[in-house]
Amino acid sequence: MEQENEIRLEQIGVVTLFEIKGDVTAASEPFLKEGYKNATDRGTEKILLKFEEKAYINSGGIALLIQLLAETKKNNQQIGITGLSDHFKKIFTMVGITKFARIYDTRDEALEGMSEES
Amino acid sequence: MQRLTAITKETKLHKGQRLLQEGQEAEDLYVLKEGSVELFMKAEDDFEIPIAILRRQGDHFGTSALIAPHVYTLSARCVEDGTSFLIKHADLQKLILEDHELGCTIMRNLAQHLLARLKEARQELKIHFKTLLKAMHS
Repeated sequence: MEQENEIRLEQIGVVTLFEIKGDVTAASEPFLKEGYKNATDRGTEKILLKFEEKAYINSGGIALLIQLLAETKKNNQQIGITGLSDHFKKIFTMVGITKFARIYDTRDEALEGMSEES
Repeated sequence: MQRLTAITKETKLHKGQRLLQEGQEAEDLYVLKEGSVELFMKAEDDFEIPIAILRRQGDHFGTSALIAPHVYTLSARCVEDGTSFLIKHADLQKLILEDHELGCTIMRNLAQHLLARLKEARQELKIHFKTLLKAMHS
């Protein structure tokens, strides 16, 4: 079940969009770390994680995202998430991710919302 | 191979259908033909820990059916309609006893599969431990 991810960074106004391709598991660690380092090196203050429509995020992937949230909190960065299925919206809420990151239904809604927030 | 085919039954999978239940007696081994299946574990009352999704032809689940004590360690649910091949543990056991060469091939493949799962589980454990350490020091 090993898989590779591709993370494409795109700067849209004040938001750095992380376009994440593939399922997110423990094997995604180097991809997420590199993406986050690149974004932080650019001095980004707002990060939007966008998952693919059918992306699967297992428990290792969730733990990685929690680590990423801890880093963004430490670096005073704002984070948003979009592209989640209802199933994962429920899981993210249950594990408490929504206390630290806002979940948006669409990419456009997220970009608009995050651009407006200070 | 023909003997294996003879004990294999094709079965339809329907979205939302529970295929395996963690803790139940493992009677069937499934080999995915098409569709997708999620593997998960129960943690708290109604919280399900997402383990993996199987989408590729040949992905298999229910391997506990091949190993004593024959109890499923995960639950499985169909996420997208599809088809799978189903092999009854008792039929396979009988076949393995009759055909040692086939049995050896199956057990070698099973060992490789379980080793890969162990590697993934260790990698995941490392991530969880790092997350815990970060939480303790933040």
